[in-house]
Amino acid sequence: MAKNKMSSIEQTFEGWKSTVGEPLLAEQDTRISTRNVDVFYADKQAIFGVDLDIGKNEVLAMIGPSGCGKSTFLRTLNRMNDTIDICKVKGDISLDGENIYDKRMDVVSLRARVGIVFQKPNPFPKSIYDNVAYGPRIHGLVSRRAELDELVETALRKASIWDEVKDRMDQPATGLSGGQQQRLCIARTIAVSPEVILMDEPCSALDPIATARIEELIDELSNNYTIAIVTHSMQQAARVSQRTAYFHLGRLIEVGTTDKIFTAPDHRLTEDYITGRFG
Amino acid sequence: MTDQTLNAIERLALVKQERMTANLSKRYGKEKRFRFFGMASIVLGLTFLAVLLGTIFTAGFSTFFSSEIKLTIHYDAAALGITDLNDEDQVRLADWSQLVKQALKKRFPEVSGRKQLRQMNGLSSSISIYILKDRLMANPALLGTTEDLWLMADDEVDAYMKGQVDPSLPELERRFNDFQISLVDDLIASGEMKKTFNTTFFTNGDSREPEQAGIRGAMIGSLFTLLVTLSLSFPIGIAAAIYLEEFAPKNRYTEIIEVNINNLAAVPSIVFGLLGLAVFINLFHLPRSAPLVGGLVLTLMTLPTIIISSRSSIKAVPPSIREAALGLGASKMQTVLHHVLPLAMPGMLTGTIIGMAQALGETAPLLMIGMIAFIADVPNSPLDPSTVLPVQVYLWSDLPERAFVAKTSGAIMVLLGFLAVMNLIAVFLRKKFEQRW
Repeated sequence: MAKNKMSSIEQTFEGWKSTVGEPLLAEQDTRISTRNVDVFYADKQAIFGVDLDIGKNEVLAMIGPSGCGKSTFLRTLNRMNDTIDICKVKGDISLDGENIYDKRMDVVSLRARVGIVFQKPNPFPKSIYDNVAYGPRIHGLVSRRAELDELVETALRKASIWDEVKDRMDQPATGLSGGQQQRLCIARTIAVSPEVILMDEPCSALDPIATARIEELIDELSNNYTIAIVTHSMQQAARVSQRTAYFHLGRLIEVGTTDKIFTAPDHRLTEDYITGRFG
Repeated sequence: MTDQTLNAIERLALVKQERMTANLSKRYGKEKRFRFFGMASIVLGLTFLAVLLGTIFTAGFSTFFSSEIKLTIHYDAAALGITDLNDEDQVRLADWSQLVKQALKKRFPEVSGRKQLRQMNGLSSSISIYILKDRLMANPALLGTTEDLWLMADDEVDAYMKGQVDPSLPELERRFNDFQISLVDDLIASGEMKKTFNTTFFTNGDSREPEQAGIRGAMIGSLFTLLVTLSLSFPIGIAAAIYLEEFAPKNRYTEIIEVNINNLAAVPSIVFGLLGLAVFINLFHLPRSAPLVGGLVLTLMTLPTIIISSRSSIKAVPPSIREAALGLGASKMQTVLHHVLPLAMPGMLTGTIIGMAQALGETAPLLMIGMIAFIADVPNSPLDPSTVLPVQVYLWSDLPERAFVAKTSGAIMVLLGFLAVMNLIAVFLRKKFEQRW
């Protein structure tokens, strides 16, 4: 049985030349575009020639089996892979037309434009206020305390956690529950007013109720921000996203509207994945 | 086939109970013995500790008390040969010892003969003369008046008061003869001898006279040395640890550096003393015996300790915090300063204070740079020659007078007290800065 699976994958890879579906969008609708992106961990190649556009104010879900490179690809979009010594990125990735791997690009200001929320909530061991205020402070976005207070409150409201924490702003953020911590991390990311929010399996460490709240939040946020979300859960992808990209062993197999991908995908591998034959 | 397998298991079921019972009692026996040995080791360790502290305490306890004689001092202008206190020549040429001698003569009018008079005059400490002179010079109105004063007794009297002189021994075998004993007994009977808390131990510098020897010089010397060591080794150590852990590329050179730092931590301390002698004193011509040089030598010695403990504290900070900061757009430096350093601080502080406590007790390297000299003055700055507490202990342990035996243990008690305080500070600081994540 296993032998058949393997050979069917290889077979379909043989015929695979390029991404099926619509990975690219019109230029005026595109926020982030990637062309021919390869990512290497030392000698091992993890991502093979990915061309993908992420549209303005859309939610793009990236799905695929474990180890297919979705998180790696997501992290290249704001150069988080720079922190890993052995990781090398080749190809073009542009944000609003500017190549983000250009030598002149300041990675610090890039990350203020493309925020990221991680799988496991990681609030700073400081007060809730200081957590949200940290980003604006270091980027010098606000000068007066009153402005900062307002910004913090707005971010927390947008992350729909204000009511729960407004009376405990000075208490350590680590005292919150998992779901609250993750919403705090989202608030922290929003506070620097990014253009794009990357989310790396944001709900995988949370219970279903917290997950539902965050999915509502993503829906609201998509009105103002471009969101790229990596998820293991196909149901989640179906619920929150407009477009979905399917990755498999480092290759971008198919991209299309969420409806199409989950009802009538074009490529065989995509179909096998969503019907549960592997992954 | 199936029959046989079943039988094997069935057979086991029959004997299982008795085999297990036998085995269980053996196991519990082993565990009990293991626990017993563990407890015994702890008890043994504590016993040794108790013996150590007990010996030191009983030996050194008496040094915190000193004996005083009450004398009626008449500031006799005629005996001193002074008419005008402002005349420097008169003051210089006056025989101040007359004040004490006259007082004692009045107290014991029956004493005669040069030998006995000398022994009587020796009852009071030689420093009394200077105390009386200072008193009179500070308050000229006292000239011609009489007052009662408690003056420090000689160390032999002090030894007798503390019961360290055995009167049953033949006279030739002790320093305190029967005549002197009779005088002191008389003073005790009339209430003119008392034991008080020995503040001189803490206010005086070193001295050849046991009753006047104090630990202040060594304490201030240790304090200056530790200040120099702390102010140099803490910033350098922390900065080196941060650089090596966060910013340095991971290649062969940094590995060599790491191996060398670990090795330096194990180098015998006297080697650092030789280095200090060769470089700081001979090459840079820094003042010999100064806490500055001592501090520099001890800095070299404690740097590896601080670097190693700081590095492991930094390593212990979870990478998720760093990623969170970087993801928000913080630069590497901001991430380290705002997030990594505060979280690593408790471990760094603990390592530093432990390093300082080690440095406080170091003797060998300081001997090489000259902090072993007999220095009677209390140092005023890190550039004045001085000595440190452990060296003072060593110097006093070498001296013959009986009182120095107690003083050695007294100095050890002060040293142990400082070490205990430093370790308590380490625990307090660690608790205070502990943050949970």
